[in-house]
Parts: sequence; C-alpha cells; structure tokens
Amino acid sequence: MSDKHLSTQFDAELSGISGRVLEMGGLVESQVVQAVYALTQFSAETATQVLHQEERVNRMEIEIDRDLSAIIARRQPTARDLRLLIAISKAIANLERVGDEAARIARTVQRLINAGVPSRLRLPVSDLSFEAELAIAQLRKALDAFARLDTAKALEVLKQDDQIDQEFDGLLRKLITYMMEDPRTISSSIDLVFVAKAIERVGDHAKNLAEAIIYVVKGTDVRHTSMENVENAIR
Amino acid sequence: MSFATLSAAKMAQHRHRKRINVLALVLSLSAMAFGLFWLAWILFETLRLGLGGMALAVFTEMTPPPLASTGGLANAIFGSMLMVSLATALGTPIGVMAGVYLAEYGQTTWLGRVTQFISDILLSAPSIVIGLFVYSAVVAHLRSYSAFAGILALALIVIPVVIRTTENMLSLIPNALREAAYALGTPKWKVISSVTLKAARAGVITGILLALARIAGETAPLLFTALSNQFWSADLSGPMASLPVTIFKFAMSPYENWRDLAWAGVLIITMGVLALNILARVLFRNKY
Amino acid sequence: MDTKVSGSISEKPKLTVRDLNFYYGSFHALKHIHLDIPERKVTAFIGPSGCGKSTLLRVFNRMFELYPDQRAEGSVTLDGEDILSKKLDVSLVRAKIGMVFQKPTPFPMSIYDNIAFGVRLFETLPRAEMDERVEWALKKAALWNEVKDKLNQNGSSLSGGQQQRLCIARGIAIKPEVLLLDEPCSALDPISTGKIEELIHELKVDYTVMIVTHNMQQAARCSDYTAYMYLGDLVEFGPTSELFMKPKKKDTEDYITGRFG
Repeated sequence: MSDKHLSTQFDAELSGISGRVLEMGGLVESQVVQAVYALTQFSAETATQVLHQEERVNRMEIEIDRDLSAIIARRQPTARDLRLLIAISKAIANLERVGDEAARIARTVQRLINAGVPSRLRLPVSDLSFEAELAIAQLRKALDAFARLDTAKALEVLKQDDQIDQEFDGLLRKLITYMMEDPRTISSSIDLVFVAKAIERVGDHAKNLAEAIIYVVKGTDVRHTSMENVENAIR
Repeated sequence: MSFATLSAAKMAQHRHRKRINVLALVLSLSAMAFGLFWLAWILFETLRLGLGGMALAVFTEMTPPPLASTGGLANAIFGSMLMVSLATALGTPIGVMAGVYLAEYGQTTWLGRVTQFISDILLSAPSIVIGLFVYSAVVAHLRSYSAFAGILALALIVIPVVIRTTENMLSLIPNALREAAYALGTPKWKVISSVTLKAARAGVITGILLALARIAGETAPLLFTALSNQFWSADLSGPMASLPVTIFKFAMSPYENWRDLAWAGVLIITMGVLALNILARVLFRNKY
Repeated sequence: MDTKVSGSISEKPKLTVRDLNFYYGSFHALKHIHLDIPERKVTAFIGPSGCGKSTLLRVFNRMFELYPDQRAEGSVTLDGEDILSKKLDVSLVRAKIGMVFQKPTPFPMSIYDNIAFGVRLFETLPRAEMDERVEWALKKAALWNEVKDKLNQNGSSLSGGQQQRLCIARGIAIKPEVLLLDEPCSALDPISTGKIEELIHELKVDYTVMIVTHNMQQAARCSDYTAYMYLGDLVEFGPTSELFMKPKKKDTEDYITGRFG
C-alpha cells in the first residue's frame, strides 16, 4: 500500500499547499528574527523591512485559505487528508498572527527610536533576546515537525512551552523593578513588556502548531489536555 | 492543422477506401434489387391472376365441378380456417408450457436438453413427413381420412415453432426482473405466470401468430390426412376441404374455371399470411 | 483477524452474522464474517469491486438460493431466529427482509398493480384498504404526488428515478422490517440520487436499512454505520463519522483516501 493517492493531481495539490505553508512559516520566522534584531540593535531600517513583509504574509494567508477550500470542495477528503487540511487552516492562522506579533515588535522599536530613549542601555534588552531565541527555536522546531509530521518533535515543542512562560514572568518582574527604581523609564518599560508578551505569544503559536501536527498524525485533539494525555495519544 | 495539408499518402489511401466503399454499396444494392425483383414479380402475378378470378361468389359458393360456370371456394376457406384455428388451439398450450419449462426449469436437466433436441428436429422436419406419420398412425388405423387427422398434423408443426419462440422470448427477459419478484417473496410459479410470461407476452403471441401463418399455407400434411371435400363439411371425422389442397388440385388441372379459382385462392392465402405477419410485427414493435 | 472488535455494536442488534462463509462453487467469496447490524439505522457496505459486499447483502434474503452452485455456511439471525435454516420458508424470510436492486425493474403492469403485487402475496385486502396501502407506500417513497393521477399507467412509463422509487415503494408495501438496497442509485442521475438519499434518511425511522454502494461519499452522507470489506473479509466496521475521520485500520484509511493501488 503506497502512500500516494491514485490521483497524482491530488498528491501534487497536497504537497503544493504544504510547501506554501512552510514557505509562509519561513517568512514569518525571518520576520520575528529581524524584529528582534531591530530591537537589540535599535535599527529603524530593519524595523521598516519587517513591516514591509506584513502585506506579503497576509496575502499568503488569504491565498492558501482559498486553495484549501478548493481542495476540500473538489476532493472531498477524508481521514488523514481531511485532518491535514484542517491543520493547515489552523497553522496559517497561527502563522499570520506570528507575523502580526513581529510587526508589533517592529512598530514598538520604531516608537522607541523616535522617542529617543537615552537610557536604553539599562533596559534588559539582552534578556528579551534570550526569550526571543527560545521562541524562535520553538517556531523553527514546530515548522520542522510540520514538514515531516514528526510527533516526537511536536511533543518536545509542547513540553518546552513552559520555559518561555517562565522567561516572560522573569522579564516582567525585572521590568517592574526598573520602573519602581526610575519612573522615567516607565513608558519604555511598558513598551518592552508588550514586546516580551508578543514574543511569548509567538511561543504559544508554535505550541498550537505542534498540537495540530499531533491531530493530523494521530487523529486526537490534544488541545486543553494534560501532558500525560498528549503522551498517551502519541504512543 | 487544416485538412488540406494531410499528406499525399494519406489522401491516396483515403481515395482507395472510398472506392471500395462505393463498390461494396453498389454490390449490396444490386443483390437487394435482384431479390426484390423476384418478390415483386411474384406479388404482381399473384395480384393480376388472382384478382382476375376474384368475385363475391368465391366466398359464397362451394367448389364446383370442372367446366362449371359458377362456383367458389367457400368450403375450402371454411375448412382451412377451422383446421388452422383448431390446430393452433391444440398446439399453443403444449408449445407454451414446454417453452416455459425449457426456459425456466429445464436449463440444466437432461429432460430439458432432450426436449430441446427433439423440438429442434421436429422444427426442421419436412411437413410431408409429418403428414405421412399422421397418416400411418391415425388415418390408416381409423381407415378414414379426417379433418381431425389434419388438425393433428398441423398441430405437430405448430408445437416446435411455439416452443422455440416462447423459450427465446422468455430467455430475453432479464434475470433482474425475476429476482425482483423473488425478493418480494413470490413463489416460482407465480414469478413465471405473473411477471416473466407477462413481460414476454408480446413476443410469445407473435410466435403463435407466426406459427399460425405458417400452417395456413401448408399443403403436404393435409394431403394424406384431411384429403379434400367437394362439399361443405363441418364434420371433423371425415375429409374436409382446405384452401392449399384445393389450390393444388385446381392449379394442375386442364380446366380453366378451376385454374381461375386456384389463383383466387392463392391471392386469399397470400393476403391472409401477409396480414398476419404485419399484425405480428406491429404487436412486437409496440412493446420494444 | 480480530473478529470480536470488527463487527460488534453496543445496542441490541437487529441481525447478527456469525462465522459466515460463502462459496460460488469452489471460490471462497466471504470469509468468516462476524457482524451485528443495528436496528433502525443505516449500515453501509463499501469496498472495491469483488470484495463481497453485494454477495453478503444477498445472503440476508437468501437470494443466492436461486442459483444451485452458490451456498452459505454459518449463521445469520434476525431477532434471534436463524434465517438461513432450510426449515424456514424462504418466502417468509423475504416478507421480512426486502430488497431493492441496482437497476429499476418495474413489473409489466400498472403502477397500482406493481405495489399491490407483493401485498396480495401475503394478505387479502378489500379494495379500499388496498388503495390505502398503495397510497401509503407511494407516499413513503416520496412518489405519491407524481403518480397519483396515473396509477393505472404502466410502470415503465416513469423516468428512471421514479421507477427506482416505485421499486422502493413496492418493497415497503409488504411492511418488511429490514430493507436491503443494492447500489440503488448507480443507475440514476444526481438529482434522483439526492431524492433517494433523502428517502433513505426518512426510511430508517421505521426500518433497518443496509445499503451497498461503491460511492464512498454516499456512504459517508447516508449511513450511521459503515463496514469496509476487501476480498471477502470484513476489514473494519464502526460508526460512519469515526470510520471516515479516524479509521482504525490502515487498509481502511488507504481505501477511503484513495491511496488504494
């Protein structure tokens, strides 16, 4: 029993749309990387670049969704194929929001630069970049797992989501102490809180991707369940 | 790519095929014309000579002695109609039931195969042989020619024809129809009588009509059985006049009045058989 | 082959099949079938050509007995009673288990007589009651409005879809408990097919329905339970939504997603 459909056209359509999803994933991933770079290097140029990508990401979401509907209408997919298409629909929604988060970070950078923050050297930007690296790594791992429909990797993503949450909590506490020490930093600190939140949300979207992967492969919806249930589902 | 640019070789081939096409068409049309020609001539002669001898008297007066001025074919027509209808009435039930047996029950049994074999032989037996058989079996024993023997001989011709057509028509009925009836819980005999036979009704009746048309014109079986009768007779135990035998007798005679009547009789038989065939065709076409 | 899991259901079944084997001469067409058919639900049978689904259907109303070289071994019970037993008259079985075939086959008689035919086999009804029964059957088959003014016309004067509904009405008129539908829509156009699928949905309120179809989407649309068969084996059986979203066997998934080959 081969893994190929009798209809090579259907196979081509499925691999085509999967490829586009991964392309979109790569695009938003680079958006996040660039947004974080813009933040740590205070580069207005990079921030503008990130915002330019927005339009492309949004367009991709619309196109992929449209192709998705067409495949469902024409092929009446069932079982695994249907689950894959449902997962793709969820994935691009999540990826588009990752793009939104990256854009949000970029706009914050622009605002910070325009405000001419003098004491930026005292802000915990490096901590932020650590949190960001974790989140980017999660996103990358989730996209990898999606490409190969690898449930083991998806499980790793789910397990490591807590780490990012912890990082965010730590950052929040740090920023609060900064604000208490020097009220002049309140405005920019609050901006950084929003940035940290955006990064944390990127991690959440990666987690959603991982849950979708498990749904495709195992047919079980592991959202809002305990880690134990997830491990049972994968076994 | 337009048609004009087809290669020269293809065009030559095409013209060659066209030529063969025309040749074949011409040959088959000529063959058909040849056959139709003779048929048309026969019909024309029949009409010409028959109409010449036709008169109301043909239907009302008895067969005359030679050289008489009056006379008709009334007793022969009556005799034919009587014997043909009684023979059909006798042979049809036997033929239909045997046909039903062959199509519905006896597909694989030895009895079925034997019946089919014998029926096929009878079907192609020369009618004079059947006449002689009935002569030796019935006429010789009873020591008299009789219409009854004639009916028997004709029935023996009807039976295999009706068997064959009934069986064929029943076999044409798709099995799906039978299965649908069975699926309702219908017992076998009812499936046959209410569904299968009913569906094949038109074909079976056509077969009976064709058998009737066939025996209407049979002469040989009647020669040694019913013989002939100059006078009106409705007595089955004695000889009876019939149209074919009368025609046979009159046509070969040197008397003109007899020959005229013979042609009139030929016309009557031809028209009758033609009418029956057309009727059979019309019935059949309506169903399919 | 895990037969226990394959064909069991939780409710009390209308029909049970235990260790059913079927032979066309020496060819082993159905192998150790173990199955429960739920009452008043639609059970669909799917599978590639030659998998035995029609063969299985025709065991239920003993249609195979028309052909001498076909035989069934094993047990099939209807409400606990063995219907394959030679002691049980086949006409009685067929009075309880009706069948509609792939090709519409109206009998050569009027529409009224078509419906009345089956009824007259088992019951003697006065004219008024027979009229009622005919009307009831035609209404149930969603055909009454189209033919109420021409009940005396020949059955074959109807269109293909109407003829098939006539056959369904004919089958219902004798008030069976189970209805077997053998690819009832394959000879029909999409609109007629849609009407009959609607009909199946209404029929299951009163009857246990089993449908054989080579159209998977039809099975997915119409049925409550689906059985997937392959080469005479019952591969998987379960609620339709489960089988089409998350089949238990890879073979089943390969078939329904078109990976067969």
